[in-house]
Amino acid sequence: MAKSSRMVHHNKSMKVSSSKVILNQIFQLAKANLKSRYRKTFAGFLWVMMNPIILYGVQSQVFSKFLKLNVPNYYVFLLTGLLPWIFIVQSMEMCTPIFQSSGSLLKAFPAHPLVYLMAQLVDNMVNFLAAFILILIPILTFQPIDITGLILLPIPLFTLLLGVLSFAWITSTAQVFFGDTRYLVSFGLSISFFLTPIFYPIDFVPERFRIFVELNPFYRLIAPFRASIYSLDSEHFLNQMGLAAIYSFSLLFFAIIFWKRKKNELYFYV
Amino acid sequence: MSKPIVDIRNLNLVFHVSYHRSWNIRDAFTKFTKDPFEVLNREKDRIYVARNLNLKIHEGERLGLLGVNGVGKTSLCRCIAGMYRPSGGDVELTGQVRAIFSTQVGIQPELTGRENARLIAQFMYPTESFIEELVDEAIEFSELGKFSDVPYRTYSNGMQARLCLSLISAKPAEILILDEVFDGADTFFKEKISKRVLDMIQESGAVIFVSHSPDQIKEVCNRVVVLEHGQIAYDGDPESALSFYNQRSTRFGKNVKR
Repeated sequence: MAKSSRMVHHNKSMKVSSSKVILNQIFQLAKANLKSRYRKTFAGFLWVMMNPIILYGVQSQVFSKFLKLNVPNYYVFLLTGLLPWIFIVQSMEMCTPIFQSSGSLLKAFPAHPLVYLMAQLVDNMVNFLAAFILILIPILTFQPIDITGLILLPIPLFTLLLGVLSFAWITSTAQVFFGDTRYLVSFGLSISFFLTPIFYPIDFVPERFRIFVELNPFYRLIAPFRASIYSLDSEHFLNQMGLAAIYSFSLLFFAIIFWKRKKNELYFYV
Repeated sequence: MSKPIVDIRNLNLVFHVSYHRSWNIRDAFTKFTKDPFEVLNREKDRIYVARNLNLKIHEGERLGLLGVNGVGKTSLCRCIAGMYRPSGGDVELTGQVRAIFSTQVGIQPELTGRENARLIAQFMYPTESFIEELVDEAIEFSELGKFSDVPYRTYSNGMQARLCLSLISAKPAEILILDEVFDGADTFFKEKISKRVLDMIQESGAVIFVSHSPDQIKEVCNRVVVLEHGQIAYDGDPESALSFYNQRSTRFGKNVKR
């Protein structure tokens, strides 16, 4: 049997446009998801925003007022950890079953399956940014934030998006083969919330356990976000960004290998 | 003869599947703890959809694919459409593929039929710039009327088929793949859409048509290929191919109505 295989398209316009086509499909599908969720009303938009805002409100009060965590600028500190975490959780929970739930669509049209996954991620990213801005505006009136950090924000957002995309690509593919993947993902995320320095700083972790936290991929994706807004120091920021980039691209590499091995069988089982 | 628009050389398409596998991680874990060697050494079944398959399709050819269920007609079409990665060999295309494998799908059930039609059109016509005009025309042809502005989740299977078929047949394609697409529509609409699809097929570059209906095959195709065991068992004109297929099917106890 021939070892190599090729899919060749000689239509030049098609080659040029294929990535443009995929981007357009992602955009159109994300727009449709948002439209369906918000139902073209401001009340719909507020309804979707309530989850992160209430979570942030409750946790900021509990940890700062009840548990009295001794962290300076705690509202900004929590914002830079909790909001990316909510993005990770919502994206993982909504993306993991996406290939399975889009099975009939995947088999009906020759569109790249990543379109469905990416559209869901873009949809979640829009919600995340909207919630982030809604919470940030009142905070800015009480606590000053370095504007350079806000300008740098797209860089950690990129590694966060790439890391979550890679994770979700792996879990959504695994979900097709093992039906309880989504429940394990949900369980793993519940545990990770406490094991990741989201509502507490990494300095609170005893020295001998800190290495495990340092290796935690969720921490690596969130850390540059916090480094850009909460405590901007160029060397620290670059360090965190470098580590986040290594983690994100490594995850993407594994996701691509896993996908290539499973792609054909995915259509068979979905 | 002109350069082939689809050129398949030594195509191998193999699926590694396991019919007795664990369907959840909990089950896999318990099986593994019970007998790890059995789990690690379990061999997967191999399904050979294509074995060194060679096929050339030229412009103007309307190729019918015949074969018993499970022989790999749809898989071959999906491979040409770029959905499957070949295990070996080459698939060379000199045109853009438009394919549809089911007519009963919606993308966002909460949105209206018209909004879903726009989304479906983005997948069917990814490089088309006049999506809006195309959707309007398809909706008018589908005769869905006021139903085009109600949520897609309220659509019956027949209504979904009307919308999808009206969309796919709105414009000719360079390479068109139609896989058993007439089955969902109601009798009245089937006649109307058949005429439109036939007109569109005449204007398309090359067509691959999968159907179990000999009448449809004779009406649409000018060449028919019969697939067996991952290879081409017969390649010829529709009449003789149907007769070959009928003989084979009878031998396997699967008679085809003529």
